Amino acid sequence: MTQELIETRGRYPHLLTIQTRWSDNDIYGHVNNVTYYSYFDTVVNCYLIDQGGLDIFEGSHIGVAVETMCRFRKPIAYPEIIEAGLRVGKLGNSSVRYEIGIFRQGEDDAAAFGHFVHVFVERATNSPAPIPRPIRAALERILVTP
Amino acid sequence: MTRGDDEIRDNYPYIISVPTRWHDNDMLGHVNNVVYYRYIEAVVVRFLMEEAGLDWLQDPVIPYAAEILCRFRRPLSFPAPVDAGLRVDKLGKTSVTYGVALFSPDRPAPAATGHFVHVFVERQSESPASIPPAIRTALEKVAR
Repeated sequence: MTQELIETRGRYPHLLTIQTRWSDNDIYGHVNNVTYYSYFDTVVNCYLIDQGGLDIFEGSHIGVAVETMCRFRKPIAYPEIIEAGLRVGKLGNSSVRYEIGIFRQGEDDAAAFGHFVHVFVERATNSPAPIPRPIRAALERILVTP
Repeated sequence: MTRGDDEIRDNYPYIISVPTRWHDNDMLGHVNNVVYYRYIEAVVVRFLMEEAGLDWLQDPVIPYAAEILCRFRRPLSFPAPVDAGLRVDKLGKTSVTYGVALFSPDRPAPAATGHFVHVFVERQSESPASIPPAIRTALEKVAR
């Protein structure tokens, strides 16, 4: 078990504001646990598109998820607006490990946190490929080593 | 081969078939990674309701998800159904760790493997509570 540190906002160099939606809540009246992974998907892809120039429609490379994990600490619920924090914990030749925290507005401790591992592959062949240069540069900007 | 790739259906005493839907696939033509967690949720919830008699709306002690991990090994794709397997890997006083795996029909190797940790809490106070005896008995039956 790693990551037992309290995850606070200051540990994430990039933050994205996300509006929760009515259908995110389940019968407990909280955002359903599966939905957190959709916030993970959102903060990761928005960063790759906005900062790394990833073209999700035509680009020669795509990111394939190989592992994700989330620890749930405090409930969140629609209609809250949340913030998703993003950093890179490990940057390899073709793979990257993102670390993500989900924060309620005005709170410094994460409501949930976890990781997401992407392997970049060539769209045409599906074989692992080096991370394209502009994307790597964007990932290096939020690389935080322990 | 990475850890867990040798998991087979026989390692999971409780398996259900989950239908896929059109929108489970994303624009890359495969089931999106987030949706794998829907299938995992489906097998955990079905087990607790049908085998352990859990009543989500009435029971005084209910489970909360504490941690879920999934390793994506092979793509899944609509319209093929998914076999979702469950076992208990670790049974504590107030928490349980399920081992979970997803399989495409006709393939022995898993499309995904992972784990799911439930912590049981009192509905009112949300403080950790002992796993109720009937639920514990059902969990013990699928323990590794």
